[in-house]
Amino acid sequence: MNILRLQGIDKKYSASEDYAVKDISFDVRKGEILALVGESGSGKTTLLRLISGLEHPDAGTIVLSENTLVSGNRSVPANERNVGMVFQDYALFPHLNLLENVQFGVRKTQGDPAEIARKTLQLVGLKENYSKYPHQLSGGQQQRVALARAIAPNPSILLMDEPFSNLDAMLKDQVREEIRQIIKRTGVTAIFVTHDTRDALSTADRVAILHKGYLQQLDSPKNLYENPANPYVANFFGRRNQVIATATEDGFYTSFGFIADERSRNFRNSVKLLFRPEEIKIKKSLKQALIGTVRQCAYFGDHQMVLLADESGKSIYVRASPTRYFVEGSEVFFTIRSFKVEEAF
Amino acid sequence: MTGTVLVLLLIATPIFTILFKLLDAPGETWTHLRDTLLIGYFTNTLFLLLGVAFFTFLLGVSTAWMVSNYRFPGRRYFEWLLILPLGFPGYIMAYTYTGMLDYSGPLQAFLRNTLDIQVVGSIVDIMNLPGAVFILSITLFPYVYLLSRASFLQQSRTLQEASALLGRNDWYTFRRIALPMARPAIVGGIALASMEVLNDYGTVKYFGVSTFTTGIFRSWFSLGDVTTAIYLAAILMLFVFGILLLESVQRGHRRFASNKSVSKPLVKRRLSARKSWMLTLSCSLLFFLSFVAPFLQILHWVGLTYQKTMDEAFFFLILRTFGLAAGTGALVAVVSVTLVYSLRLSPFKWLKNVSRIATLGYAIPGAVIAVGIMIPILGLDRWLRESLPAGAIGIVLSGTVYALIFAYMVRFLAVGYHPIDAGFQKIGIHVNEASRLLGKNSWKTLWKIDLPLIRAGFLSGILLVFVDVLKELPLTLILRPFNYQTLATKAFDMATNEMIAESANASLIIILTGIIPIVFLNRMIRRVNL
Repeated sequence: MNILRLQGIDKKYSASEDYAVKDISFDVRKGEILALVGESGSGKTTLLRLISGLEHPDAGTIVLSENTLVSGNRSVPANERNVGMVFQDYALFPHLNLLENVQFGVRKTQGDPAEIARKTLQLVGLKENYSKYPHQLSGGQQQRVALARAIAPNPSILLMDEPFSNLDAMLKDQVREEIRQIIKRTGVTAIFVTHDTRDALSTADRVAILHKGYLQQLDSPKNLYENPANPYVANFFGRRNQVIATATEDGFYTSFGFIADERSRNFRNSVKLLFRPEEIKIKKSLKQALIGTVRQCAYFGDHQMVLLADESGKSIYVRASPTRYFVEGSEVFFTIRSFKVEEAF
Repeated sequence: MTGTVLVLLLIATPIFTILFKLLDAPGETWTHLRDTLLIGYFTNTLFLLLGVAFFTFLLGVSTAWMVSNYRFPGRRYFEWLLILPLGFPGYIMAYTYTGMLDYSGPLQAFLRNTLDIQVVGSIVDIMNLPGAVFILSITLFPYVYLLSRASFLQQSRTLQEASALLGRNDWYTFRRIALPMARPAIVGGIALASMEVLNDYGTVKYFGVSTFTTGIFRSWFSLGDVTTAIYLAAILMLFVFGILLLESVQRGHRRFASNKSVSKPLVKRRLSARKSWMLTLSCSLLFFLSFVAPFLQILHWVGLTYQKTMDEAFFFLILRTFGLAAGTGALVAVVSVTLVYSLRLSPFKWLKNVSRIATLGYAIPGAVIAVGIMIPILGLDRWLRESLPAGAIGIVLSGTVYALIFAYMVRFLAVGYHPIDAGFQKIGIHVNEASRLLGKNSWKTLWKIDLPLIRAGFLSGILLVFVDVLKELPLTLILRPFNYQTLATKAFDMATNEMIAESANASLIIILTGIIPIVFLNRMIRRVNL
């Protein structure tokens, strides 16, 4: 069941600028976690603000749990939308203590606000003294309070703006998983914005990729990684190598050598071979392998990224084991485990 | 170093005088005054303080919220127009309103001639305690407006967005978020306005309201009783310290500044056409009452009387006042630079705390400073007279312009000190150290490096002191040499002698000069916030 539906959403901040978002349509299913991913300026934060009602679209409709929020000139104001939001800087009220912050949005008709606030704080696992003030808490604790404040009034949808960007790397992995757990436990539908693909892939059920205001692809993390709709999406999740080859009866001729592959029969002449750096396996001998020259090697602790060049200088990235020692200028033999073939135009 | 301490001690003279003189036994006048008038002084002063605090809060905070939060026709202009009433000294506002509401004034003339309504005098009688509250409120609300606007502008936009997304409307958000967060600024503004109320002499004197300030004048001039004046000054100082204490207690240790991250400024919201015109109307009405109407009245009076009043003597009066103000401004700036600079280079950290004395003067009412300075100077003169051979000059310091300038410096040192101190803090200490490591001594470094860098602060210090001296009344009235006039005392004397229309000429010059730094100040605040 869909809880949120966006249709043909356009937004321009000023007449002279490009569209911040253009012709965006998608559905969000009840209970799922959707990530909006893109570089800065891709329109992801704009989209979040349009859903929340802090901005109004120039065109399109937004429907949230069967209430039309936006249609034509009509737009339900932000304070009547029943939308929860966790801001990037948390936006905790500095003059209110934790309990007061969390019960701020709870109506008396929903029950005792203090009681609901206390329960929500327990749900997010905050064991601190609830009469403390925001500035007395660590960054991670502040984020829990912000999350508790957003879900305490039982919103139809929870929006999070860059929820992990203020956390340091060590804390991030742990918090990501915890927040996912909390969201799943409450059953609330959530949309979060991030520029970090790792956040998106590990936390979200589905991921929407935005680029220059346009929606590129919306799919599960696995599908996005394995079947990117276009080169932009493909490159978004790490590098993807592209090698020009000539198809023959029994395989592909590349500038790195010959690859035996039956798929070559389906193609004629020039093709593109597409594969990720981790698909390459380093070999000891040239037998049935390709050959390249080491140009650069960068060490990352758990792996090495090696740049291999052919004779003409065209290069590909190889993800190699950290234990192996590469000498610049030396030759390396390798095979490609799996790759995609596309017609080259 | 010793110089610094000496300057600080000199500046603290009036406070020491009052503390010291409190030890004297009270005379008969005091006993009499205590039994008869004191309770009136007390209730009047308190009523004035509370009334002005209430109305400046109401006017200042509401306009600041409108201007910083909503779009409405004319908003950009009201942003700085609403500061202009600060250019009106309270006493000039008092004369102007009295004239406007007079039998021959425009309001009654209009009612009588156009609508044929005869007004009973007392209906529009403004010369009383509530009238003084009204006059002081419309001249002093910009203090609250300025500080609370600055605070609203600093508040992060996301806090208000967070409140809206939690289902709360504008009014709830204002009450629960914006207002409590701006509280320190608002109370600061009200405290400033209260200091001005305690300092005021011209308005209450003209309206015949007896307060501690008028009491000091009465015992000093009419009764010639120094001790009584000192006692009253001491009580007035208790009010001042009370306000300062309240202000600092409420501020506490809490700082409601947003997180370290750069906060997004407020987005001005659109309103329906009807509502936005309502905002325009209410801002216009306030601006009309607090500036346009009185200013037009003054122009009208000037038009009637300038041929008679603006003669050669008046021209020299302007020159003399401007000279006095500019000279004081320059002196304050030089003393401030010397103080700040020697404190910066001083290895003694405690000196920095002692230096706060230097800026206390602004909180002390002018009349108190005047009395606190006059007494030691009179004593000094007596001593000089007795130790000098007979026939030498009788008056050395008392009743001279030097005593007056010294008193101005005590009162307005803070005004010049703050921009200069801020200037020094902005450039940091490293350029100074670099210069000294390159072989220039500290005075040469001050001259070559620091002074050129703090130029803006130095000039704004002079300008602000200049305008304050121009407007100053009570201190000048007590300390001025015999028959010595400034624009302010001239306006006061004329208005007191039933020559309101003529007094407008001096008033106009004071107001026009006073507007310059207001516009200048507003631009500085905008630059800080945007």
